[in-house]
Amino acid sequence: MIEILSVTGPASVQDLGRFDQYRFGIGTAGAMDDVALRAGNILLGNDENAAGIEIPMVPFRLRFDRDMAFALTGAGVEAEIDGRVIPPWWRSHARAGDLLDIKAMPRGARLYLTVGGGIDVPMVLGSRSTQFRGEFGGLHGRPLQPGDILPCTASAATIGELGVEPAEITLARPNTAADETIVRVVIAGEYDGFDAATQALFWSSSWKITPQSNRYGYRLQGPAVKPRVPIEKRSHGIVPGVIQIPPNGQPIIQMRDAQTSGGYPKIATVIRADLWRVGQARLGSKLRFEQTAYAEALAAEAEMSAYIERLRTIVRLIEEIRTCRSS
Amino acid sequence: MTTPGRPRISLLGTSALLFEAPGAFDLPHQRRIWALAAAASRWPGIREAIPGITNLMLTFETPPRELDGLIAALNDGWDAAEGLAIGGREIRLPVNYGGEVGSSLQSVADHCGLSVDDVVSIHAAPLYTVFALGSHPGYCYLGGMDPRITMPRRQIPLQRSAGGSVSIGGSQTGVSASPGPSGWHAIGHTSWTFFDPSWPSPAALAPGDTIRFEIKQVIR
Amino acid sequence: MPIKLTDIARLAQILERSGVDTIEIEEPGQSLKLVVDTGPRMAASPTPAAPAADHSVIAKADVAGHFLAAHPWRDKPFVAPGQHIQAGAIVGLVKIGLLYAPIVAPAAGTVDAVIAEPGATVGYGTPIVRIRPPSGSSPIN
Repeated sequence: MIEILSVTGPASVQDLGRFDQYRFGIGTAGAMDDVALRAGNILLGNDENAAGIEIPMVPFRLRFDRDMAFALTGAGVEAEIDGRVIPPWWRSHARAGDLLDIKAMPRGARLYLTVGGGIDVPMVLGSRSTQFRGEFGGLHGRPLQPGDILPCTASAATIGELGVEPAEITLARPNTAADETIVRVVIAGEYDGFDAATQALFWSSSWKITPQSNRYGYRLQGPAVKPRVPIEKRSHGIVPGVIQIPPNGQPIIQMRDAQTSGGYPKIATVIRADLWRVGQARLGSKLRFEQTAYAEALAAEAEMSAYIERLRTIVRLIEEIRTCRSS
Repeated sequence: MTTPGRPRISLLGTSALLFEAPGAFDLPHQRRIWALAAAASRWPGIREAIPGITNLMLTFETPPRELDGLIAALNDGWDAAEGLAIGGREIRLPVNYGGEVGSSLQSVADHCGLSVDDVVSIHAAPLYTVFALGSHPGYCYLGGMDPRITMPRRQIPLQRSAGGSVSIGGSQTGVSASPGPSGWHAIGHTSWTFFDPSWPSPAALAPGDTIRFEIKQVIR
Repeated sequence: MPIKLTDIARLAQILERSGVDTIEIEEPGQSLKLVVDTGPRMAASPTPAAPAADHSVIAKADVAGHFLAAHPWRDKPFVAPGQHIQAGAIVGLVKIGLLYAPIVAPAAGTVDAVIAEPGATVGYGTPIVRIRPPSGSSPIN
């Protein structure tokens, strides 16, 4: 078990998400940076979909009440376990009573704590992810609070320390300036409702991520991007990544806790292979959109799958080498 | 792509495809959407077929390599779709109109040039049909509202609107299943439970069910 | 226990799929080095151990790869000469494909020198950091 000692901001239990409940009005929820969650689970030999804790703000402290392996992936943090410094994207081992202290987050926006075996909250409607609206999944359907006890399926097996190159380095996009995130998008239904100059403005602008950005959506600030004539749609399904343009012309990227339907015009959709980059983009930083075709978006997904497969394989390789040595 | 009278089909990245039917926001069109949804949910590679208001979102289990086949199937499916008449349940829903939760009742009346009593009786008169679920867990979009009580959505959404709010947004009305942000105007409140994740089907209502609002009281 | 041929075949298969070009396994009486043939490459030549002060201890790499003195997200290296460290402290990383394997201090003491060059190819047993144990335990210093 894990005891939460102090929390800043809405930390929550998340797995990869709940993907087949849209017809009941239930969105996906799930980790904002699914690549980091997967990497943590792979490091620990878990199912990639095992639940971890998403930590968007620091300080954050917890205590392990028994020996267990854990990993920290996602945001770059200053963290210590029992007084020892933990490098970024790292798997380590905690002993019963050890204190994990996440002190600062100088890079990225969300840290993932995964544990050997996963956080063992009940599976609700196919997922362990916290669904805030409707208050289910995760731990009692709400953000974590000091004093919360999280059950773990952790195995007591000791595993050696090991790190992964942060995905931001391995999967770096070319020509990305510091403090700017570039994401690929496929144009959406109302793109043609914007004139050519406005479309060009959408592509060329560096969009500032406003403080009103969270798991529900990222509200961006920049030049007003408005359709030729106001567009109001009948309510229809939307997915995480959809970029809506409300009447003020300031884009909103729908994220994991977004409503499952909407009626604002949609100019584009962030591709699935890049949505994690949005999840790690910091408030106040800049975001730029790069147009990509559907076929290219599929290729990007295939590349992402290959990356995950490569990670899984090399972690296995290292375990095999260590096993050969110790046998 | 936008031929009048033809459906509009557009991509939501690689996660989903959106099909928007031509024509009016009415029950006959919605019945064809239900029929198309029932068919499409069985197509290979489709995870879910989710009806919206005279539109349909298909989420992908596996995104298709080529979209032409799926687009053709949707167009053909729409043309062939006979309205699916779902013999849903009829729910009678007691509503406290006005009061703290329904605080926009007076402003709807003012906007529409009607008295509060008129708004309440006009709102409670029809038998509404659940057109679709969406927005948040268990929320129902209803069809059948009298256009006399139409009121445009808020320019700035409320941060928090109560669960069970009976609201008007444009020419639509609905009842929220849980507290959350809303751009609609709440005119009343019901204490009915619309959603429980422990139920075999987590939402109480489904497309095709009907709702009749009963005036429990009008709080001024 | 001798390394079995079937183990080697399995390791070779994993190696090929992992994007890593070399692994080395060494045990008393036997050593194994697998290299994926991807065309010409620099031979992995273990840096000869600098002549160590008698009582120094050496932190060594335990996998083949490239030595990183600092984590790419950190400005400061893990250790610098003169720094006091505990046994088990991480003194550097070996980058092997997508992974970072830690190089750990076998004993507590003061960092004498970082022997390996950052970015250098290292192998199993390559000396990385020389550590001077606390003076009480060292008759020389």
